[in-house]
Amino acid sequence: MAHAVPVVSDIAFSDLLADPYPIYKRLRDLASAVYLDAARLTLVTRFDDIMTIERDSETFASSNPGSLVNKVMGHTMMRKDGEAHAMERRAIEVSFRPGTIKSHWAAQFEAISDRLISDIESQGEADLFDALAAPMASLALIELLGLKDVSWQTLARWSQALMDGAGNYSGDPEISTRATDAAAGVDAAIDAVLAWHRQNPNPAVLSSMVNAENPMNPEQIRANIKVIIGGGLNEPRDSILSLTLGLLSNPSQLAEVMASRDLWPLAFEEAVRWISPIGMYPRRVTRDAELSGVQLRAGDQIGLCVGAANRDDRRFENPDSFDLLRPKQPHLAFGAGPHFCAGAWVARQMVGRIVVPMLFSRLKNLRLRPDEPARIHGWVFRGPVSLPVAWDV
Amino acid sequence: MPTITFITAGGKEHAVTAEIGRSVMEIALEKSIPGVVAECNGSAACATCHCYFDPAYSEAIGPIGEHESDMLDFTASPRRPESRLSCQVRVTDTLDGMTVCIPAMQ
Repeated sequence: MAHAVPVVSDIAFSDLLADPYPIYKRLRDLASAVYLDAARLTLVTRFDDIMTIERDSETFASSNPGSLVNKVMGHTMMRKDGEAHAMERRAIEVSFRPGTIKSHWAAQFEAISDRLISDIESQGEADLFDALAAPMASLALIELLGLKDVSWQTLARWSQALMDGAGNYSGDPEISTRATDAAAGVDAAIDAVLAWHRQNPNPAVLSSMVNAENPMNPEQIRANIKVIIGGGLNEPRDSILSLTLGLLSNPSQLAEVMASRDLWPLAFEEAVRWISPIGMYPRRVTRDAELSGVQLRAGDQIGLCVGAANRDDRRFENPDSFDLLRPKQPHLAFGAGPHFCAGAWVARQMVGRIVVPMLFSRLKNLRLRPDEPARIHGWVFRGPVSLPVAWDV
Repeated sequence: MPTITFITAGGKEHAVTAEIGRSVMEIALEKSIPGVVAECNGSAACATCHCYFDPAYSEAIGPIGEHESDMLDFTASPRRPESRLSCQVRVTDTLDGMTVCIPAMQ
């Protein structure tokens, strides 16, 4: 006999934002699914349960009639299932292929990274959030999408406004206005370049969308570009910072990776396991279902906490420590199932092969600043919000 | 139904009957064959269902797609001429008797 979903009500929302990991452990040990009052959502926190859910998109759907994402961005592929999702995903896939990344994007990412590091090289200290990670992620995304005449600050502002709008459950009118303005800005930026991409096929996402075998219509293009802007900027930004922080906090591991370049991919995977940039994403229960002894009901909204699953001690030994030499096994930082992150290989190349290796090879004796410790924040999206460092000049 | 034999990295053999039309990855998951991870559940996006297919069946399996070939360059275990993503290989009658070796790492 399955149990009802247990409820946890003694946790403050601010605790979840500050450090969700002790809370995740408590939820994992309590049940497969727990309603957390502070989040107003039923949370799934164990690795195996999330895998089970992601293999059954008929019972656990991504589509959601009441979704705020749809309201803010339009009907994006992130909130579709089955063939409707697969067709839109196929249209953009070519831009994200490992082969396209190697032959086209890698050189562009290298040029951006080189420029940003050259800009700060003589300074001796910086906060890597503003000085490197945020502009790197934003400039790379502008190239990847195929936008023109958009500054990195503008794209970063749009991204934040769209995400805030998608999470605006309290209906704050100011957040809502900012999201609407950002959406209009994105639409205008698309309109400015779409004809050019149609006439000049190239590896950029906008070109893939209009030149695909099943091209997207204008409404699909607008919605999906917004979801890529909302979801494609903070993840590479945050993983640049988490990987840098993980290595700077563990000098012996840093020495290993500096001695053997082949370890960089492992270091990247460990960084996104350790602090997963997307900590939680939603699914909708379409029919009554039992999940490891807990009874879920049709209509339940559930949050899959991959940030918790990636620290599940049933699966990872010493899950809270950064250890790039831990036995290699899959993590859930890119999700699982049909919605597996389309940008995974872009992130692996950009962050794990280009930006962070270049940072450590160019800035000598790079180190944390004991007087100004790094700050990490968030649960749905989590990452360092400040990473002050110093180096020898 | 055709029979496919999975051989794990440790050398253990699992002979299973496979439903025609499904992917070899789906068969492996359904029969709980260890070592096929399939993070992306068949979207050819993760390269974690990599297997080594019996070269004698390469014609019956069909050619490698461009996207699949790109992905195979990024597998955790070395790519070999007989490497395929098992999510991209459909079960047909002509695959009866085929062996599929699972690599040590995905």
